[in-house]
Amino acid sequence: MHCCSHIILLFGQAICTVGDNCYRAVTFLKEGMLVWILFLLCQVGAPALAQDLCQRDAPNGYKVRISLKTALGEDAYEWNQSEMFFFQATMAFAMRRHFQMETYNVDNIILCVQTSRVSFWFVVTSPDNTTMLIPKADVEKAVRMSRHRINNAFLLSDRTLEFLGIYPTLAATVNPDTPPWLIVFGVVIGAVCAGIIALLVSSLLQKRRKEKGMTEDGQDEEDMQVKGVENGINLDGTYNRGFTDDDRFTKL
Amino acid sequence: MIDATMGKDAARAEWDNPMQFVLACVSYAVGLGNVWRFPYLCQMHGGGGFLIPYMLMLVLLGVPLFYMELAIGQKMRLGSIGAWRAISPYLGGVGMASVVTSMYLCLYYNVINAWSFWYLFHSFQSILPWAECPANSNLTGPVEECERATPTQYFFYRETLDISGSIEENGGIHMGQALCLLLAWIIVYLFIVKGVKSTGKVVYFTATFPYLVLIIYLIRGVTLHGAINGVKYMFTPKMEQLAKPTTWINAATQIFFSLGLGFGSLIAFASYNQYNNNFEKQAIVVSMVNSGTSIFASIVTFSIYGFKATFNYESCLERVRLLLLNTFDLAEDTISLENVNHWIAELNRTHPEQFASLGGRLETCDLEAELDTAVEGTGLAFIVYSEAIKNMPVSQLWSVLYFIMLLLLGMGSMLGNVIAVITPLSDLKFISVLSYPVGLVCLFCLLLGLGFTTRSGNYWFTMFNDYGATFSLLFIVLIEVITVCYIYGIKRFEKDVEDMLGHRLNWYWKIMLAGVSPILLIALFIFYIVNYIQGGTPTYQAWNKELGKSVVTEYPPYAQAFIGLLLASSVCCIPLTALYTYCKKRNLASGKRERTVSTVSL
Repeated sequence: MHCCSHIILLFGQAICTVGDNCYRAVTFLKEGMLVWILFLLCQVGAPALAQDLCQRDAPNGYKVRISLKTALGEDAYEWNQSEMFFFQATMAFAMRRHFQMETYNVDNIILCVQTSRVSFWFVVTSPDNTTMLIPKADVEKAVRMSRHRINNAFLLSDRTLEFLGIYPTLAATVNPDTPPWLIVFGVVIGAVCAGIIALLVSSLLQKRRKEKGMTEDGQDEEDMQVKGVENGINLDGTYNRGFTDDDRFTKL
Repeated sequence: MIDATMGKDAARAEWDNPMQFVLACVSYAVGLGNVWRFPYLCQMHGGGGFLIPYMLMLVLLGVPLFYMELAIGQKMRLGSIGAWRAISPYLGGVGMASVVTSMYLCLYYNVINAWSFWYLFHSFQSILPWAECPANSNLTGPVEECERATPTQYFFYRETLDISGSIEENGGIHMGQALCLLLAWIIVYLFIVKGVKSTGKVVYFTATFPYLVLIIYLIRGVTLHGAINGVKYMFTPKMEQLAKPTTWINAATQIFFSLGLGFGSLIAFASYNQYNNNFEKQAIVVSMVNSGTSIFASIVTFSIYGFKATFNYESCLERVRLLLLNTFDLAEDTISLENVNHWIAELNRTHPEQFASLGGRLETCDLEAELDTAVEGTGLAFIVYSEAIKNMPVSQLWSVLYFIMLLLLGMGSMLGNVIAVITPLSDLKFISVLSYPVGLVCLFCLLLGLGFTTRSGNYWFTMFNDYGATFSLLFIVLIEVITVCYIYGIKRFEKDVEDMLGHRLNWYWKIMLAGVSPILLIALFIFYIVNYIQGGTPTYQAWNKELGKSVVTEYPPYAQAFIGLLLASSVCCIPLTALYTYCKKRNLASGKRERTVSTVSL
């Protein structure tokens, strides 16, 4: 609409400079008709112009896909014209933030091919020249820079607000200085080594105690057997070795 | 000699009470195979129907042989080498073969415990490392290898093993794996350094705690969404599978290896028993507990499979739904997960050209196919379980619990393996001169085991797993049964058992040991040989980085030679020892004759 008024004014100015008092009556009618025709053309032509710029598979456009129900479930809001306006405003903000010099406006973001999925295409025109499109790469940079803000504006995430062709930057894997598994490993192996040392020390102490006790008891094991102690039970009489079971090994 | 042996008997260590012995046997027999291999076999051979050949083989093969090994160990009160030498000096090689096979098992089995430790330590993170792919260096997307495969596969093959493309490509040692293996061996040393005194206390824990975790997992498993699909799938019997001979063969082999026969561990455990211990009841109890645990564990496993299959199926449906929505630009709530298939038919009818443009991107989602993906082998089992766990809520807790259970199962079996090596060695006179035999054996196994932590180490591991113990065990146990029943004599065996237990051998034991078991074993043995010859060149699964999946590759010639060496080295102990003993006796006999002649001539 903005461009239409510009064109009419310019043309009007051009006509006025040409015109003289003589021509005024005739040209006034012509002017009116021309202005009216121009106005009509503009009404039809401006969107047609914009339509040329924004279409499915536009070379400098991006397709946006929004999955509201997946993201918000029961709390999903309805996607209507106001939300589309909000999207235009957000994109204009993203472009301003990236380029910083130029003042982008809502009109610079043209949307088309809206479906019930919710998906649509958009292109960005330059604020100075509305017929010129901003190249794809610059739009991508702007989107990448403000992706987080755009997502949050719509309560969505990288997965549910998709710009087809712009891949989200993955979070860098945090590499701590000591991997956590090594810490747990250190704890466990420390405990185990402590257990081994405790075991060795206790066996050493036991050995020392036995050595002290050995000089007093002597060979108590064989004595016990000779005295007839079997399985801890005292049997009467002495153990007669002559009746040992010696045929349990195979004779050749 | 009598005095020396009597003295040895009096000095031999013993379990504190019979319960420790039972728990040690349970801890040894109930191992990773119960959790992984049995559910796989159930799945492959017709679900609930597999229980029939399994139970039959348990009764015909498993329990009698288990009984026989316990009897020998308790009677001879020596490790496998000494016990078999005592039974028949020509067949002392059987014990030697058992020790060699146990040694191979010791070398590679602890690597599984190292993996369990690795996964356990990595479970203490807010996001499990196998839950998502790491980003590549440009931060534009996930790492390519991870994208082509799945995050769990990537974590196992790349971050845990750093696996190379084939068995020929060697690489450096993976430091993390080496550290975990070191830890595993230190813990094993700690458990057995004091002999049965320390082992007896440890088995209270290693035998009972896995059951606690299994019960917790059972409750968690059956409450998972989609678990019922898995359990239903498992218990639906497919009776036609029973007609295939492979089913019966696999049932027999599973019973056989699950009980741990032929390794010498059972003989070693029983040798520390009191002479009059009632091992008959204990043999039946342990065998039943082992089989019961297999069935119990497979319920848990199948409920987790069901959950995983349902999750994958629903993810597949979700992807198809999104694809349809995006291609045809329909509103979000038109297609739901239930009517995806209806919409596929509808859209094909109304927009045929656009539908055709979808081409190969449209996946077919099939729950049966997901459940059918049979999972076997140690690596695959790690991958599948960790995939299921990452989708559970509070996945860190379940991950920690699961890997602690795996560790306890593995450690319990490892105890049996190492004791099977150490007991006969410490019975031999020349070894007992060495101080710290336990420490030396552990150190030796650790150093050799580091070879399994190299980049191609997993391929060598699979080779040991497939060939190190399977064939030789069958041969060993066959010789054992024939020796006890026919060379030693079933009558003498009966007398020994009566001496220990106080009552005669039942007709059941006699028939099984003397008749049925040897026949079944011979049949198994022949089948194995035929299968091996028919199988052609042995192959293995090599991980292909570019494709992101495993590829069947043939073993190179030197690897095949190594397989032959593995098989031969344990088996040929038996004939070689027999030959050696025969020569020695002949020399002794001829020496005696010479002496007698000379005295007479004098």
